[in-house]
Amino acid sequence: MRRTLVAALAAGALALGCRSDLPPSDALRLDTAPAGGDTRLTLIAPPGFKLNARVKPALELSEGTVLRFDSPYLTPDSAYFTRPPTALLAGSARRVRGTLRASICQPDELVCRSVTQEI
Amino acid sequence: MLPEAPVLRPSLPILFALGAAGAGTLALDSASRAQAQSRNPLTAERETGPAPSWRNASWLNADHPLTLEELRGRVVLLNFWVFTCYNCTNTVPSLVDFDRKYRDQGLTLIGIHTPEFPPYAGEHDKGNVERALRQYGIEYPNAQDNDSRTWNLYGIRFWPSFVLIDRRGNIRYQGAGEFHLNDGNYRLWERRIQELLAE
Repeated sequence: MRRTLVAALAAGALALGCRSDLPPSDALRLDTAPAGGDTRLTLIAPPGFKLNARVKPALELSEGTVLRFDSPYLTPDSAYFTRPPTALLAGSARRVRGTLRASICQPDELVCRSVTQEI
Repeated sequence: MLPEAPVLRPSLPILFALGAAGAGTLALDSASRAQAQSRNPLTAERETGPAPSWRNASWLNADHPLTLEELRGRVVLLNFWVFTCYNCTNTVPSLVDFDRKYRDQGLTLIGIHTPEFPPYAGEHDKGNVERALRQYGIEYPNAQDNDSRTWNLYGIRFWPSFVLIDRRGNIRYQGAGEFHLNDGNYRLWERRIQELLAE
């Protein structure tokens, strides 16, 4: 019974999870670090996934600004980031609120999927 | 007013399989391929039924907005893609090849260009899509699906995805995932196209 409930909840999460198809534990991760008087944001892909560099990940801040993540470290075909991309947020921020958006790909599936995540 | 989407929402077992699916069929030997294809959501034959009618207004490589109704009698291959998707653009040479080989035999290939990101990313811009078509040598019609309406109508979840519609307007095959000229999945899709063209 409990297993069925868990399975149903998981299925519901998959069905309703926008287009992410990812359980919460595999979500995008956003790290913050001071950079002078500003804040450096680093976007970490879920384990086993690559971040698409052709459409740069974005953080849509609650007040309307859109930050795009970037990194000079790319695969030879420029398709994916090989190191986590970063963005600079003006000012010192302990907590960032907004919507993270990224295109992620799992190499052996040969498809891309979109992740949208509130933070 | 769009018709209701028929029979295309993935079933719960398929959703579970999507979560569990791994390497796919690309490296399978021929003996196990058929069995695996029936399990793998990226290449499996899905539920079939009448294809829903799309109503995209903005088209490229077409002198008017194409409708499913006017394509009755032809086999239609829909390719859901976006030019920022590497897996999608890697598959384009195969689709261009299908178009070249089978257009005169009754195949209509249609790209459904569905952005992943909001407009600030440039995927909604018709000029950018037009440049991508030129860059990849795409001559078949493409619809801009900027509001994802056709994507949602067909219950699509991945880039690239494919829907193969028979001459009577029924969905016969659906699948997703990059493939390359003459690889296993290219041959699989080619066999499916040939099968429907022969009916």
